[in-house]
Amino acid sequence: MNTVVLILIAAIFLIWSIFKSKEKTKESLILSKNLLVKTFVEIIGVMALVGLVLAILPPELIKQLLGNSNEFLSTVYGAVIGALTIIPAFIAFPLSKSLYQSGANLTAIAAFITTLTMVGFATMPIEIKYFGKKFTLHRLWISFVAAILIASGMAVIL
Amino acid sequence: MKKIISLIKNNKLIFISIILYTIAFFVKPEIFFKGLEMTKGFLIEMIEVMPPILIISSLITVWVPSEVIMKHFGKESGIKGKFLSIFTGAISAGPIYAAFPVAQALFLKGASIANLVIIISSWAVVKVVMFMVESSFLGLSFALTRYALTIPAILIMGYVMEKLVKREDILEEIENTEIIYNTPKEVLNDLPNMNCGACGYANCKLFAEGVIRGEVSIDDCVIRAKARKTA
Repeated sequence: MNTVVLILIAAIFLIWSIFKSKEKTKESLILSKNLLVKTFVEIIGVMALVGLVLAILPPELIKQLLGNSNEFLSTVYGAVIGALTIIPAFIAFPLSKSLYQSGANLTAIAAFITTLTMVGFATMPIEIKYFGKKFTLHRLWISFVAAILIASGMAVIL
Repeated sequence: MKKIISLIKNNKLIFISIILYTIAFFVKPEIFFKGLEMTKGFLIEMIEVMPPILIISSLITVWVPSEVIMKHFGKESGIKGKFLSIFTGAISAGPIYAAFPVAQALFLKGASIANLVIIISSWAVVKVVMFMVESSFLGLSFALTRYALTIPAILIMGYVMEKLVKREDILEEIENTEIIYNTPKEVLNDLPNMNCGACGYANCKLFAEGVIRGEVSIDDCVIRAKARKTA
């Protein structure tokens, strides 16, 4: 749904741009192509690696870690697993639900979802290409800490 | 030989995964196939999202004047800029890596570090559609609480990042990740190929040959430099 809107917006802008100036449109399309090449190669590599890791890791292990009787420890595990993997969000939520039903702690799940979407160690090489090492590393650890704090806050409120 | 080494260096991750997948194929075929299946899922998402994202980022780079970006996303934009950044992230589609090109385009045009972080983070977390999915699976109170805590956290993260990272840090590092070119064709691939002649050479091909001979640097290309940092 969101994707359709996105494609529509891009198409409308592009048509508007063609009407305004053919030259500038050409310039921006060349730019998009260069960006695509730069990003594509890197992302495919990242995804292939994450796919392999997820294929090796048994889901039972994740369940065990997130359902640890020590709530703080399981929250940290949740945050670490979320930070290391990338899964499309629409898979992450059903997965979280099944983890919860099989005994994972709610705070661990909150940490997992938050780092999953916000941190992304897997996409680090891509981020470094766009913003450099310093920005990327700082953003990652700050997001990680924030995710743990958010999860702990949820433990207090819920 | 030199060419092969630079090819591997520029595409490290791909090579590592090819090697690992080859090992998996011989040692444990079921992991090989399961891994491929997972990767396929990611790729489909990426192929849908990335082309329109990149077109939008490039159109921003080419069309939107720096002054406009600076006014709405720059250091002086204040609370309004923060909310605009959250909004920009929230209405966008795609996973976090889709945010990078757009955020970079805005940053190079003058968006502040704080707003850069806010855009990336809210792109990842603050989503209307995702909120509905989350509340249907994990309950409304779970989703509401998580959002209520996450949005202020994102604002604080932006503030902290602004203290830690300076604009120049990022610009310097992006500039320094230069690729070493071996043939005019490789240079030509990275040029806009508009044959504008602003570099002093008659066309891009001659300019590319000049880069290989060491007479000029690829950054002397006027259009390329303009596209890379307008700020």
